[in-house]
Amino acid sequence: MSEKKKGKLSPVIDYKKHEDPFSKGVAFCPGCGLELLIRFIPQVMGNDIVMTGTPSCSAPVLLGQNNQSWHSLSYFGTLMTGAAANATGLVRYYNRAGIDNTVVCFNGDGTAADIGFGNMSGAAERNEPFIYICYDNEGYMNTGIQKSGTTPYGASTTTTPVAKGSRGKNLRRMNLALKMAMSKIPYAATATLSDLGDLAKKLLKAKEMKKNGFCFLHVFAPCPTGWGYDPAMTVEVCRRAVKTNYFPLWEAENGKIRMTKTVNKPKPVEHYMEPIKKFKHLDDNDRAILQEDVDYELCMLGGLSILEKECVLPEAAD
Amino acid sequence: MSKNTYFKHEGPWSDANDPLMCSDTGDWRTKRPIVDKDKCIFCGFCQIYCPVQVMEMVGDSHFEADLGFCKGCGICAQECPKQAITMVSEGEFVS
Ligand code: SF4
Ligand code: SF4
Repeated sequence: MSEKKKGKLSPVIDYKKHEDPFSKGVAFCPGCGLELLIRFIPQVMGNDIVMTGTPSCSAPVLLGQNNQSWHSLSYFGTLMTGAAANATGLVRYYNRAGIDNTVVCFNGDGTAADIGFGNMSGAAERNEPFIYICYDNEGYMNTGIQKSGTTPYGASTTTTPVAKGSRGKNLRRMNLALKMAMSKIPYAATATLSDLGDLAKKLLKAKEMKKNGFCFLHVFAPCPTGWGYDPAMTVEVCRRAVKTNYFPLWEAENGKIRMTKTVNKPKPVEHYMEPIKKFKHLDDNDRAILQEDVDYELCMLGGLSILEKECVLPEAAD
Repeated sequence: MSKNTYFKHEGPWSDANDPLMCSDTGDWRTKRPIVDKDKCIFCGFCQIYCPVQVMEMVGDSHFEADLGFCKGCGICAQECPKQAITMVSEGEFVS
């Protein structure tokens, strides 16, 4: 192989057309998936977006402290119970005032999947024209690593510990993105940090599609502190999640699902779990349950993505 | 810098016209990323995956971390396709 000194510069750099609005030293843990994501979004979508969000790992940085701020974006801090309702208010105000902008409701899985799910679902039904981004670190990390609706089966958290009478979460995770896609909103998609080109495309598409209404992005953003893996592995954990179909990448326009990445010969889910401490106690039986869950969700996605072509409707009555 | 045009003040008590807050996150580091200029093929993977976004282009030859803010997570070294980055213990640099 000829050793060329210079390769091609990653095309992802071309997507980053705007400045990073964050100050350089902000208080996220080393290797934080959320930090990579939150700096990526305005670099791709522009610095003139208006963000709103809730108490979470993102809040200390997005809200600011005392009378100073960590970034130059517009941010509206609100409560977990009403995140999407607040975003609705913002976007309606801008529309009435004739200001064209992009409202991004940026929340963790605790708000999106549990506490603020009701009003998010309402905003989706009313088709409010803003972008909801859920960064999914599979639990309430900021308050001390409690389980959430997206915490997977078997994962050890402080409320589902490995202790006497408990062996991690004994419930399966919910598929939030699929729920939202089934609301037939103009755009729903999943993305992760190992596939930044794919993420950038989906962010730009959401910015475009929000003129038709509610857009939902579910971004898998691992947490080294809460999950117990080496911070250097954050992107690798995302990659493994995609390669094992633990977190498949797809998008749905008006509920029509299309896979944006199909994995040939997926690795078993053990490959994904291997570097992560929250899965360390699981035995073969538990792993089989998780694998079954992953396979089931993939089948569901696969089935839905061919639905229209294959589905034979019963003949109508005369 | 594109200034936000919607709010004069970013929030009721946070004024975005002030200089931004900034911590010396470089202090957190226990390991330092050292880039081997000769091995680097200038692909930029370290730059796109660095959560702190401190991998900077040096001309058009290689990348180097801004050590004032690099948190030492090691993602750049893990993701570099040419293994051009080594994480060296900060202890090595104490004089
Ligand atoms: S990832 Fe490695 S080869 Fe690519 S630019 Fe960075 S140091 Fe160079
Ligand atoms: S060690 Fe982490 S923070 Fe430092 S340059 Fe590499 S990826 Fe960025």
